[in-house]
Amino acid sequence: MIKHLLKLVWNRKRINFLITVEIFFSFLVVFAVLVFAVYYTDNYRQPLGFNYENVWSVTLDMKSASTPGSRESDKQQQFATIKNMLAGLREFSEVESAAGIWGIPYWSGDWTGDREINGKGKDFEIGFNEATDEVKDVLGLNIVRGRWFGKEDDGATNYRPVVINQLMARTFFGDEDPIGKDISNPKDKERVEQRVIGVVDDFRKGGEFSAKRGYVFHRNDLASEKVSPPRSLIIKVRPGVTAAFEEKILARLQAEARDWSFDIKPLAQMREANFQEYLVPMAAFGLIAGFLLIMVGLGLTGVLWQSVTQRTKEIGLRRAKGATRRRIYRQILGELFIITTIGLLAGVLVVVQFPLLNFMGFANSRVYAISAAISLALVYLLTTICGLYPSRLATRVQPAEALHYE
Amino acid sequence: MLKNYLKIAFKVFLRRKFFTFISLFAISFTLVVLMVAVSFLDHVFGAQPPETKLDRTIGVFHLQMKSPDDNNTWSSPGGYKFFDRYARNLPGVEIMSLLTDTFDGGKVYSYLDGNKIESYLKHTDGEFWRIMEFTFLEGGPFTSDDEKNANFVAVINEATRKKFFDGQSALGRTLEVDGQRFRVVGVVANVPYLRTIPFADIWVPISTMKTQAYKNQLLGGFNALFLARSKADFPMIKEEFQSRLKQVEFDDPKEYNRMIGYAETLFEFMSRPLTNSRQEEPAKVGRALATIFIIMILFMLLPAINLVNINISRIMERASEIGVRKAFGASSWTLVGQFIVENVLLSLIGGAIGFVLSRFVLRAITESGFFPYADFQLNYRVFLYGLAVAVFFGLMSGVYPAWKMSRLHPADALKGVAR
Repeated sequence: MIKHLLKLVWNRKRINFLITVEIFFSFLVVFAVLVFAVYYTDNYRQPLGFNYENVWSVTLDMKSASTPGSRESDKQQQFATIKNMLAGLREFSEVESAAGIWGIPYWSGDWTGDREINGKGKDFEIGFNEATDEVKDVLGLNIVRGRWFGKEDDGATNYRPVVINQLMARTFFGDEDPIGKDISNPKDKERVEQRVIGVVDDFRKGGEFSAKRGYVFHRNDLASEKVSPPRSLIIKVRPGVTAAFEEKILARLQAEARDWSFDIKPLAQMREANFQEYLVPMAAFGLIAGFLLIMVGLGLTGVLWQSVTQRTKEIGLRRAKGATRRRIYRQILGELFIITTIGLLAGVLVVVQFPLLNFMGFANSRVYAISAAISLALVYLLTTICGLYPSRLATRVQPAEALHYE
Repeated sequence: MLKNYLKIAFKVFLRRKFFTFISLFAISFTLVVLMVAVSFLDHVFGAQPPETKLDRTIGVFHLQMKSPDDNNTWSSPGGYKFFDRYARNLPGVEIMSLLTDTFDGGKVYSYLDGNKIESYLKHTDGEFWRIMEFTFLEGGPFTSDDEKNANFVAVINEATRKKFFDGQSALGRTLEVDGQRFRVVGVVANVPYLRTIPFADIWVPISTMKTQAYKNQLLGGFNALFLARSKADFPMIKEEFQSRLKQVEFDDPKEYNRMIGYAETLFEFMSRPLTNSRQEEPAKVGRALATIFIIMILFMLLPAINLVNINISRIMERASEIGVRKAFGASSWTLVGQFIVENVLLSLIGGAIGFVLSRFVLRAITESGFFPYADFQLNYRVFLYGLAVAVFFGLMSGVYPAWKMSRLHPADALKGVAR
């Protein structure tokens, strides 16, 4: 049966070749869009690791000469100002807690580094942050092992305390207890021990759609020369506090530092902007791909319809020789199935190269596999739908009418 | 003769409504996507007010300082001190202007009757208003003297006038932003958000910054714009800028001792990520344009194949018609001519639909307010290119099958044995 169908397909190779090419490109388009969709959906379902509700961020612009490693006396002055600000904020009855942090969630800036996994020779990307002791309360971080930073870390002079996330702990220490271990970079020239004192379940700074990665918090004690002033303050306000409170915050902060500027924004608002950044391009490409598919579908229906009309004679002859409607129906759909499969095989062969060439390298092989599977199903579905009407048409061919041609 | 062809063409289109619909759908949809993409590029990079002299403008949008051992890199927009001391008086430059990067800390807040107002603030100088051609609704720009004397004056856009002064005349009135009070000297029409160089809601003199720390910075939030006498001077300006980079005296040469940067057009600067060219090397414009072009061609491939498919099917179906015409003495060329007229007509109708739809989609994007103050215009030149491509594909897909069919023996064609 298959051999026979293949022969039929080969007999009309010119027109079938064009259809195959069309299916091949359709598959690639669907696949490209789906890789993004699957990747983002996958990320969205992972735990976020923090709570953004009722958290406001205040980004500080200190208007200083801002040379990295600026003069020590300037820095101590800035530390003092920020301490006063945090104390001032905590006096408001609307504020539950306030903290200082280098990178706030949903902010596009990032601090990353590559670290070789012990002896495996593979680099692992890690995100870094510097946080004060209250960050855990403000962001509602979930400690799964050990503890968060606190006053007891003030005495740590010959090492730096760090809190890492679970992925980092698992990657570097496997099933071992990570508490007390050193995670400093062996490649650093002046190596200072970085001692793990706790593990949080996760902290995906980039938000719901960002990828999972290793994460390290350093402690910012707003005093030592190893740390810099936090870039932002974060404030947990009581539920029901409205935007009008921003003006009071601003007045309080401005009183501490006349010449600084402040950018106050609820995290929920930054989250919305972050979502738009991901979803709008996605929707635009999805829409274009959708229209392309509709176009291909219509074109395919037209071509199949035409070829059925053209083959009236052939079909009529088969009917006259006793083929049932059902068999005709299956023949037309079977031919279409073979053409589609050839196009898709070519597509899959191309797509398989992507992980090898590290093209669209952000996605892992699981995402590729799922996207490829959904794309295959979608294209088969599309061609089947396109084939339904023309093959129904073929079954209506009357033997007498067809033979009448000669 | 042509009138006859057109008549036949219309009859054929109407007889096979489904095929006609598919062809029109494919042509118009492809044109719409191309139009929207090109309008977007044009909106961001094209010469339009206030950047009417864009063809003579280059700038410095990014600088890098390197440590002696190359291990530390500090990259950022340039600093005031660097531009002021080393980039002035480049040969071939008519006007030079310094301006802060609006998107780098330019967001400021005002509180008016308990409401929070968000605005973008740009610090710039008097020369800025001579490079750009803003449309002033009232008043005029501030001057170099305002900049020198640190006068607290501001030019605002229409949207800001509406927010602060309820749309009433704003001349001479004051507004408070980020804790500073400015007197309004001019109101301009809104500048689109995506015009990244001139865009702001409020423009004020550089010298009104809260601290004077900017005067000592080699790197900081500033961009420089150079208006050249003519485009031909670009290579000379670029070269001279490179030699100026070598003259820089560093605050601490042990920490940083090398400055890297380029005088380039905005398109050159923005195309860097597309070609993966690092900040250390000149931008590769040719490659960026080629990449955009290839993406467009790839996108058009699927609709083109679809169109070819449909056209072949259409022609096959008309085998007997061709047979009759041949039998009555029509030459092959006459037949091909007829099919060409049909295909061109179809492409043109598809183009007209695409034109209307493009305007509709662009209007919708403009009105969605997703890009503040955006005004997406249809680019007629590109539209004609797109239409030419559609006609070309129509011809390609139509002529070959038509030619083959026209060569059939009339008897065969009449029987409909075409394959």
